Amino acid sequence: MLIEFKNVSVERERRLVLTDLCLVLSEQRIGVIGPNGSGKSSLVRLINGLLLPQTGQVCVNGLDTGKDVAAVRRQVGFVFQNPDNQIVFPMVHEDIEFGLKHREPDPKRRVLRAQAALERLGVGHLTERSVHTLSGGERQLVALAAVLATEPEILVFDEPTTQLDLRLRNRFEAHLAGLPQPALVVSHDLALMHQMDRVLVIDQGQLAFDGVPTEALAWYQAHCA
Amino acid sequence: MVYQLRRWPGIKRIARDGPLTPTTQDSYRKMLGSLYLPSGTWLHLAPAGLKLAVLALSSTALMWVHSPLLLLLTCLLVCLLVRCAGASLQQVWRQLRPLVWLLLTLGALSAWSQGVLQALEMVLRLFTLVLAALVVSMTTPLTQMMQVVVWLLGPFERLGWVDAEKVALGFGLTLRLIPELGVQWQDIREAQLARGLTPSPLTMGVPMLLRTLRRADEIAEAIDARG
Repeated sequence: MLIEFKNVSVERERRLVLTDLCLVLSEQRIGVIGPNGSGKSSLVRLINGLLLPQTGQVCVNGLDTGKDVAAVRRQVGFVFQNPDNQIVFPMVHEDIEFGLKHREPDPKRRVLRAQAALERLGVGHLTERSVHTLSGGERQLVALAAVLATEPEILVFDEPTTQLDLRLRNRFEAHLAGLPQPALVVSHDLALMHQMDRVLVIDQGQLAFDGVPTEALAWYQAHCA
Repeated sequence: MVYQLRRWPGIKRIARDGPLTPTTQDSYRKMLGSLYLPSGTWLHLAPAGLKLAVLALSSTALMWVHSPLLLLLTCLLVCLLVRCAGASLQQVWRQLRPLVWLLLTLGALSAWSQGVLQALEMVLRLFTLVLAALVVSMTTPLTQMMQVVVWLLGPFERLGWVDAEKVALGFGLTLRLIPELGVQWQDIREAQLARGLTPSPLTMGVPMLLRTLRRADEIAEAIDARG
């Protein structure tokens, strides 16, 4: 994985949310922390072209998110903070199969891939369930399964543990550790950051600290608490 | 406390009915969230196109039926289909409950202006139509309905007039989100009751509009993210 931010600035609603950001990300596990409204979510939205920079360029494995957005999105799987925003179909299998529509032309193989993704997370029994009958934790796992089914090369998680109880949060942490893909995780869950190779601290739209988890967490607690 | 209960009817209602516990809220969500009932009945196995065609034809035909007895028989037949779809009476009642007042009001107006027989005819016809549509919704997954739309628009797509997949997705999302608006309405209502406010069309309408627009943005973003 190689994600490059070249002098990236982002403005939203006439406010600079990211300012002149220069970064090269190549580690297997990268954490992003920072206060609310610091620009963390904007940073990760740039990676799959959900947000485009006003100035500068974001490249994912050599592809410019502004020019090759479709190719970039095929490579980057995005797990949203709120699974209700991500799950657009009423049945679990329908939702996962929908994400595979442009990737797997054979409907039978789509069904198998959807089932396999759910089994992988230990929630294969939810296939025929209506999304509205699932608990918050189950929905989060279904949203993750929908992304994993597309077999992305890079995974981006935007505050994945916010809605999970302790048991499901620990389960998610174990799943995250077992994923073969490189992953970027934005979170306020500082304990989750210990399994990262690199942690970025974003504050007021700028990269405030960049280092190994222990140092980054210490810096964050000293400066942003 | 007594003063508060008198002053705020919303609180009075909560005090009378008991607090809205998470279980109550969940059951509201389940009730409003989705119409499809997963099952393996013959109605579920029937092709979606056939079900929609029968619904369209029978609904049109029903407009020409003016005999209350025949309408009653049709209504009973559709009730039988509801049972065949595997739905319990409770599930059907939950879906139809919001319509009962509308039907009663329309029936009363019709009885006043046109006579009792005409009113009975109209109420029976509307009730049967709604019930028939409910049978189709309860037994047909959204993706199958979308496939029917893609098939129907196929000739227009070949002429280059429409993108059938996009129209089908729009149709599917609309169907999917109609029940969700009910959940949203419930959430806003509860939030206002919890603050001691009495929900009114104005106080409900503005947050409802804002939330709906935000939800539309979020769903568009989620679809974009999936490539």
